[in-house]
Amino acid sequence: MTATATALPAAPATPAPVPPAADAKPILQLVGVRKTFGSFAAVDGIDLDIREGEFLTLVGPSGSGKTTLLRMLAGMEAPSEGVLSLRGVRINDTPSSERPTCLVFQSLALFPHMTVGANIEFPLKAKGVAAGARKERALALLDLVRLPRSYYGKNVMQCSGGERQRVAIARALSHDPEILFFDEPLSALDYKLRKVMEKELKDLHRASGKTFVYITHSLEEAMVMSDRIGVMQAGRLVQVGAPEEIYSRPATRFVAEFMGEVNVIEARRAGGVWRAEGIGELKLIPPPELEGADAVAVVVRPEFLRFVDGDADNRLTGEVFNEYALGSRIQYQVRAGAKTYLLELSRAKAWRGEPGQAATIGWDARDAIVAPLA
Amino acid sequence: MEQSVRRANFLVWAWTLFVLVVVYLPIACGALAGLSKSRYFGFPVAAWSTDWWTRAMASIEVKTIVETSLAVAGVVTLVSVVVAFFGALAFARYDWKGRRLYQKLVLLPIFFPQPVLGLALLLWFNAVGVQPSWTTAIFAHLVWIVPVVTLVIAIRVYGFDPALEEAAADLGASRLFILREVTLPILWPGVWSGALFAFLLSWGNFPLSLYTTGADSTVPEWLYAKMVAGYTPMVPAIGTMSTLAAASVLLVGGAIALLLRRRAALNAAPAEG
Repeated sequence: MTATATALPAAPATPAPVPPAADAKPILQLVGVRKTFGSFAAVDGIDLDIREGEFLTLVGPSGSGKTTLLRMLAGMEAPSEGVLSLRGVRINDTPSSERPTCLVFQSLALFPHMTVGANIEFPLKAKGVAAGARKERALALLDLVRLPRSYYGKNVMQCSGGERQRVAIARALSHDPEILFFDEPLSALDYKLRKVMEKELKDLHRASGKTFVYITHSLEEAMVMSDRIGVMQAGRLVQVGAPEEIYSRPATRFVAEFMGEVNVIEARRAGGVWRAEGIGELKLIPPPELEGADAVAVVVRPEFLRFVDGDADNRLTGEVFNEYALGSRIQYQVRAGAKTYLLELSRAKAWRGEPGQAATIGWDARDAIVAPLA
Repeated sequence: MEQSVRRANFLVWAWTLFVLVVVYLPIACGALAGLSKSRYFGFPVAAWSTDWWTRAMASIEVKTIVETSLAVAGVVTLVSVVVAFFGALAFARYDWKGRRLYQKLVLLPIFFPQPVLGLALLLWFNAVGVQPSWTTAIFAHLVWIVPVVTLVIAIRVYGFDPALEEAAADLGASRLFILREVTLPILWPGVWSGALFAFLLSWGNFPLSLYTTGADSTVPEWLYAKMVAGYTPMVPAIGTMSTLAAASVLLVGGAIALLLRRRAALNAAPAEG
């Protein structure tokens, strides 16, 4: 029911976000964690410190091992190798029922034969909390996830997708875990509701002060909510950092391409000069760790590519063959040789030519990201 | 268009009626035979009488066989549901080494001809020196009924999302608590239909009982014996009663299921907190 999602009461006042400091003590520490199924390594050696109170998102395409990693953190799978420790105590073999963590499943795994109230009270009932106290807590949690109190007695299967989402989160919170794990819980929602829930999750994170570890394949979702993002590829973490860092300084070409539509140009150095096929000589500023490299990937975001008639460090000529209106912005596809470039302008600065016309496009060296070729 | 729909409806009704008549006519004939005064059944019935019903009710012999049948069916239901419940979990819920072999082996007794199975069990009881009686019949029934009930419950287990148990454990629940609060309540409908199947299959079983009850006798065995020698209209009378009893077990089962669902719906109605 989108109506419930959009017609929300005013958000409770939340304290200003306090991003966990880089030297904050890790609440959960992974050292060389691997998980193999037969000869296949789903998670292939991960070292990671999860900081107390942070919102960490692990992103990666399907099959990158993020769900397996999360299941190990939650205690539903045991690592094949490596050490998993909670506040310095090894928990490799601690079952999920004894960890101060809780996982919100992708399917939500709500108990279909119970009411909303009974679902939320489940962890309290398992602990032996008296019925009166349980109900009080459940009603308070309904307030927190912004569901009407009258939902207490409602059958959970009669709730809409977004409402079930909230019930699942309330149930996890009633267990009062120190760390909450989320396995793509928003993937089944429509776009509009997902946007609402992203912001609410972020609010909830601030309000609860708990550590959130979230996985998704959508980088956009990760950027909105996270303090830090970890990008996974084939069972490994390729980069961990603040959203801004991941966006502006991707560690590899994979990370850059995962961030969204980008132009990737392979450049090779010969005789001290960088050259790219179809462009010729190239000006670029490699980061210190790539000073000695002879081949790099130059990543240019569509918004940094522009039509030039005057100065630009790098330029090429091609044919504009497509134009897409994206509301406030316009994208152009420019074909030069065998390669197609994507260029994005704000509507106010729209290109004045016609599709089919030739144009010179270019970018400045400082606007490009130089990443390892692999 | 309208006309063709009407014709189709008519054909559906006619066919349904035909099938019902074909299925129930023989049963109705049996029922009529039990209500006839004469010793041998003839049609049309010359003289009506409820004499054989009253005699059947009063007979101590009949009381004994009904008690035996009830005892056998009751114990078989109880034991087979417990065994088949865990069997069904092994069949459909857990992935373990040898599961595929187990899935095939557990079905084998269903395909074994029952008279042969009954004889084999009798020979086996003799070999190990057990005197056959209604208690050995329970064992014989279980050999055949447990696989059937396992299948019935397994169908329900297949629809059970294992993530529910994982989530429950993750929320701090113990195994016993999960079984009581999550697994059993969700599998209840399967367990109920399994129990009904077990009772009715045991109640109506003839070939296994014939070989394994020893000196005791169940209702189907007694009916058969009386048909072979010493027929009276008490045979169809008891046959009719047996059918009616089985039908009422089904009806009561259905009513309980309906009541439970009604209550669940009532609980689920929005209640002000």
